Parts: sequence; structure tokens; C-alpha cells
Amino acid sequence: MKQTMNEQQLQQRVDELPSEIKPKRDLWQGIERAIELKAQQQQKPEAGNSKTRVINFQPLALAASVVLAVIVFFNYPDAQQPVPEQLTAVEMIEQQYLQEKQNMLVSFGKPDLTKLPNNIRQQFDEIQSARASLLEALEDDPQNPDLLNLLKWTQNQELSLLEQLYSPKWQTI
Amino acid sequence: MTLQGQQTVIDAKQLFASKQEQEWIELAQNGDRQAFQQLYQLHIGRVYALCVRMIADREQAEDVAQEVFVQVWLKLDKFRGDSKFSTWLHSVATNTALSHLRKQKNWLQRVFSLEEAANSEPVINDHPELSDLDKTILRLPEKARLVFVLFAVEGYRHEEIANMLDMAVGSSKSHYHRAKKLLQEWL
Repeated sequence: MKQTMNEQQLQQRVDELPSEIKPKRDLWQGIERAIELKAQQQQKPEAGNSKTRVINFQPLALAASVVLAVIVFFNYPDAQQPVPEQLTAVEMIEQQYLQEKQNMLVSFGKPDLTKLPNNIRQQFDEIQSARASLLEALEDDPQNPDLLNLLKWTQNQELSLLEQLYSPKWQTI
Repeated sequence: MTLQGQQTVIDAKQLFASKQEQEWIELAQNGDRQAFQQLYQLHIGRVYALCVRMIADREQAEDVAQEVFVQVWLKLDKFRGDSKFSTWLHSVATNTALSHLRKQKNWLQRVFSLEEAANSEPVINDHPELSDLDKTILRLPEKARLVFVLFAVEGYRHEEIANMLDMAVGSSKSHYHRAKKLLQEWL
């Protein structure tokens, strides 16, 4: 019968554990690239690679949409030419989400989402179904802030799922 | 050389290393990446050891170790020298690793069932660089592993661990006890 190690022996083994372990690959290059990217983002928020743009697109796009909406709203009465139909909040949020999703898929090399494993496909279907239900509810109550927030949250879930599936890791930045 | 002489040489070397590190910290705080690279070279071994023991996956541990240094670079101006740099770096590493595990768990729970996620075992054969004890630690259930690594290897107190892992102090002690028993059985 195998004799189990006593507490003192275990403690001794723990004390002998190496305090340092070297990773298999050199991690510095990835760190340096990430630092470089962060510096570029801070200096020129509009610059950066496609991945960074995709990740940070949402707040920028939202801010831009708000500014655009305000400009359209204040200029509308003076406009001489026909003004394009004003977007509703739902349309703006949807437009922004579709744009962001499109950018994301392009940056990931347009992966074929129909070839995902069933369990992941099911997750996408559930999110899409939730989004469809929310859009339907918003048709009756288009300004409901809770529904709008839920819609944004649902869209973010899908984008986050996409990012986790296809986003390159640090070393490939 | 006498024992006293040897000790003097060791003390002098430590003093020099500490001054050198302080210089690199100050240079890095002023944006010097080469100095930051020196800090990386000095500490990557300890940071990676912590990450791989906590995360139990080599590739993920490497990614998290990278993230730790990116975070440190971004937060470097907040380091005022109230504690040792290595202590501060270690707390950034611990928090980054825990945050990674939480995200990972949420992700696994969303895609797979909780049960499947909890039963997923680390690929221990993928760690030729680890000692037998390390490989055995990686086989521990996640909570038991985290508590054991933080308490027995990293020297945190149960109160600190309970706070970090959002659990009662008693639970931390109980996970530690369980980890010890499992390790004693397996080794």
C-alpha cells in the first residue's frame, strides 16, 4: 500500500519549489507591441490597427452618432434641401452594431459562422433571438430606455462572443 | 575568503541590484522602454511562475504574463515606492490572473455547461518545465489550487485570499486543507 506523504514532507517540497519559471517563448515582443499600440492610441485616437479600432469603435461611434443627431436636430428647420429621414434611437443603435460587427468580421478574415460547433452556434442563435424580441418590443415603445439598454447589452454579448472566438492573442498583435 | 567576507560580497551585490532596479524603475516611469525591458527580464520568471500555477495552462499563463507587464507599464506612474516593486508587481500579477480566470469562467459557463467547465482538466503533459509538485498542483480543483498557491507558495494570509477570491476566511482554510490532503495522496 502506498504511503501518503506527511504534512512536514509536503511543506518541505513546497519550500523547494522554484520561485521562478521561464516561459517557453519570449514574451517581450508581444508586450512591446501592445505598449506601442497603447501609445499610438493615446497620441492619435483615430489611428491604430484594425483590431484596436474594432474594440474601441463603439464608444467613438456612439459619441459621433450623438453629435450627428444633435447637428441634424438643430439644423433641420433651416434646411433648404430635403433632409434624409432622421434615424430613431433604435435604428442608430442597430446601424452602429451592424457596422461594428461587419468591421469585426472583416478584421477576423470573414470567418464562416455557419461552421461553428453546435453549442456555440446555439449561443449565437439565442442572442439573435433575444435581439429580435427586443426589436419587436421597441416597435411599440421605441424610446424605452430599459429596452434600448438591453438591446445594446445583447449586441455587446454577440460582439464579445465573436471577439473571444476569433480575436488574435497578444503575441500576434 | 572568510564567511564574513562572503556575506559582505553578497550584501554589496544585493545593494547594487536594488539600486540598479530603482534606476530602471525611474527611467521606465519616464517612458524608457529599454529600462522597462530590464525590469521585465528581472521579474518575468516570478510573474510567469505565479501565472502558470494559478491558471494551470501554459499558453494562457503566457498571455496573462504579457498582460501583467502591459498593465504595469500603464500603471507605472502610480507606483510611488511605498512598497517593494516586486511586491507591487506581484499584486498586479495576482489580480490580472484572477481577473482572467473570472472572464474565462464566464465564457466557459456561457458556451458550455457549468459542470463541463468545472470538470475540464489542465493539460499537465504540456508543462515539461514544471517540477512534479507543480504538475500535481495543476491537477487540483481550481479553488483549492488558487488557495494553495496563494497561501503556501506565495505567502498570502487567508484573510487576504478570502478577500481576493470573494469567499469566507473559513472557506479559504477549508480549500487549503483539501488541497493539502489531495497533494499528500497524489504525491
